[in-house]
Amino acid sequence: MKRTFGVLVFLTLALGLLPAGLMAQSTLNWVAHPAYSLSGTDPKRVEYIKKNVDEWQAANPKVTFTANLLSTNAAEAAAKMMEQAIQGRAPDLAQLDGYLMPGYVPYLQPLDDLLKKANIDPKDFFPFALNAVKGKDGKVYGVQFTTDVRVLYYRKDLVPTPPKTWDDVLKMGADLKAKGYDAFLFPAGRAEGAPNTSIYPMFWGQGGELVDSKGKASFAAGANREKLINIFAFYKKLTDAGITPARVSNYGNEADQNADVATGKVAMFLGGSWQVAQLKSIIGDAELAKWGVARIPQKAGAKNATSAGGWAWGIFTKDPAKRQAAFDLMMKVYAGDPGMAGWTSVAGYLPTRKSVYKSPAFASSTYTDTFKEILDSDGNIRPSSPEYPKISTELQIALSSVVSGSKTPEQAVDDAWKAVTQ
Amino acid sequence: MSKTNVLSRSYQSDGPFFWLLPLAVVSLGVFVLPIIQIVGMSFTEATFRDPSDAFTLASYGKLFSNPDFVSMLVVTLAFVVPSVILQVILGFAIAMFIDSAGDRRLPGTMIVRTAVLAAWALPGVVAGVVWKMMFSELDNGLVMTLVRFVSPEAQPRFLSSSVPALVSCVVANVWRGTAYSMILIYAGLKTFPKELYEAAVIDRANLWQRLFKITIPVLSPLLLICVLLITVQTFNTFDLLRALTGGGPGRSTEVIVLNIYRTIFTEFDLGRGSATAMVLLAINILMTWVYFRFLTNKEE
Repeated sequence: MKRTFGVLVFLTLALGLLPAGLMAQSTLNWVAHPAYSLSGTDPKRVEYIKKNVDEWQAANPKVTFTANLLSTNAAEAAAKMMEQAIQGRAPDLAQLDGYLMPGYVPYLQPLDDLLKKANIDPKDFFPFALNAVKGKDGKVYGVQFTTDVRVLYYRKDLVPTPPKTWDDVLKMGADLKAKGYDAFLFPAGRAEGAPNTSIYPMFWGQGGELVDSKGKASFAAGANREKLINIFAFYKKLTDAGITPARVSNYGNEADQNADVATGKVAMFLGGSWQVAQLKSIIGDAELAKWGVARIPQKAGAKNATSAGGWAWGIFTKDPAKRQAAFDLMMKVYAGDPGMAGWTSVAGYLPTRKSVYKSPAFASSTYTDTFKEILDSDGNIRPSSPEYPKISTELQIALSSVVSGSKTPEQAVDDAWKAVTQ
Repeated sequence: MSKTNVLSRSYQSDGPFFWLLPLAVVSLGVFVLPIIQIVGMSFTEATFRDPSDAFTLASYGKLFSNPDFVSMLVVTLAFVVPSVILQVILGFAIAMFIDSAGDRRLPGTMIVRTAVLAAWALPGVVAGVVWKMMFSELDNGLVMTLVRFVSPEAQPRFLSSSVPALVSCVVANVWRGTAYSMILIYAGLKTFPKELYEAAVIDRANLWQRLFKITIPVLSPLLLICVLLITVQTFNTFDLLRALTGGGPGRSTEVIVLNIYRTIFTEFDLGRGSATAMVLLAINILMTWVYFRFLTNKEE
């Protein structure tokens, strides 16, 4: 009898404590790009993340986390995340492509109160980085924690003054070509880097609009058509004159040009800020020191403009405790004052908050001041319209066709317009 | 006898139903249901953002009225036809060479066979990256170096011009796919009745006569199967082309599978992507039907 009573007491206690234990321990589902996660291949990054995650875990003992990875294919990752968000299966904390943030806003939690509590002033963000995460209600729905910028790289020993206009490029390019250099490279193949670096900055510089206020494609409507044709005609002149080798029609991303740069025969190219770190490891400090960065050359009379990118964190969970824990995690590792300075320094990206550039914890490079200045004054992001992926693909095809010589600029623009608006 | 025993006996004695059940369940889950879903999706205008399931023929309308649809089919055929022909011819030649070298006990037969198989064993994406490096248009590209050795002033454009890019894709695909036809044909040669050759030699038939009057006619059933299987495989080639050209420059190497991938995974257009997938499925079903018709005729 005593034994039976003892077993009953034990079971009652065990069953009573079990739910309490389960409730006290919550699991945060965290999804990140592999290169931004504990599963990355760069030991320095992984060491930095592990140290900060361990500290966060020590401060949040009641929260455990499961880390999952995004596909390394950004388009696939975005498609899957959108599907999960629509179906209500999105992770608690997710890394999202900055320019696609407006599409996720209906499913994300606002973070204004948490940002205020963490003493983060939204005005400290670059305007493009703040606008990307703001909803129509004016609330902030995410934190863009890294950015990058497209610029002109030029060899200072060959190009004493970087070209500001297309005419300058053509003139300098012809001289450099005569001396045996690949004078001016730009990505013109089938990937996002081609339109983002080689088309949009020059299109925005002329006042072009990829989509209208309703998010409908407008890149070749009305006066926009002429602006796009101008860009393609400029590139056609470059390839026809041999200033740009036709092989760029197979370079979809900015980094595809790195092998060319390593040959020492390239004088100028359009690329991204992240290439500084890549080139440093490929050509070394001494060769890298020969390179300068400047604004992307524009059509005469056009204003300066460039394209900025980067990643953001968004919180999908509605559970207040998990929301706070997710916010603390992203601030600790990536987006708080020391977090953003630490992560951008170790990973080679640019901070999205102006104050972080002044932080002693931020490891700046020779190029950082120029990047910051260009980002602050000329930064634009791609539209997050549902039609954008189609626009991007068709512009990649159009640019690649013009540079490879299979279409005229007019044909390429009209075909792209037909394909998008069909 | 218990009822269970009666049931199990009847399954065992009445036919293959019981034994095929596991396979049927797996096939239903892994093949049939996804196909049904794709068929259903092709009759919608669903996208990732708007998973609409309203019935419509709009996706097919968009697909068939798009001028790029015809050019995509032309590019696909221009990739598939030479790839298949060259893979079969080269596979046949290498199989003959290895078989004949084996008969003569020449050294190195195993090395050649392994080298050819290695190309087939490589993942497509790796083969694509390797060939992209080989076709590099920089001065230090491997193929470029060979061309410049012959003609120092040449400026070949392997991947940056429409027709050469397609030719480069065919070359890379043939390099990778030849091993498959070689294996099939080599297996056929191993069971080849050698006394036919001996009789031909007595009749003073030369090499070409032996090839066209004996070898090819005897191996023709196998060759047809080889052609059909390689054709289906080549229509479905994705990873190699994705890594090598990504469909460019322009659309010059964008075959059907690349188009499906682009439509679904970069444009998020599930409806039109599924409609295009149905075209590929129709081609594959046609090839499979020919294959089974042929096998059935042979058995009869």
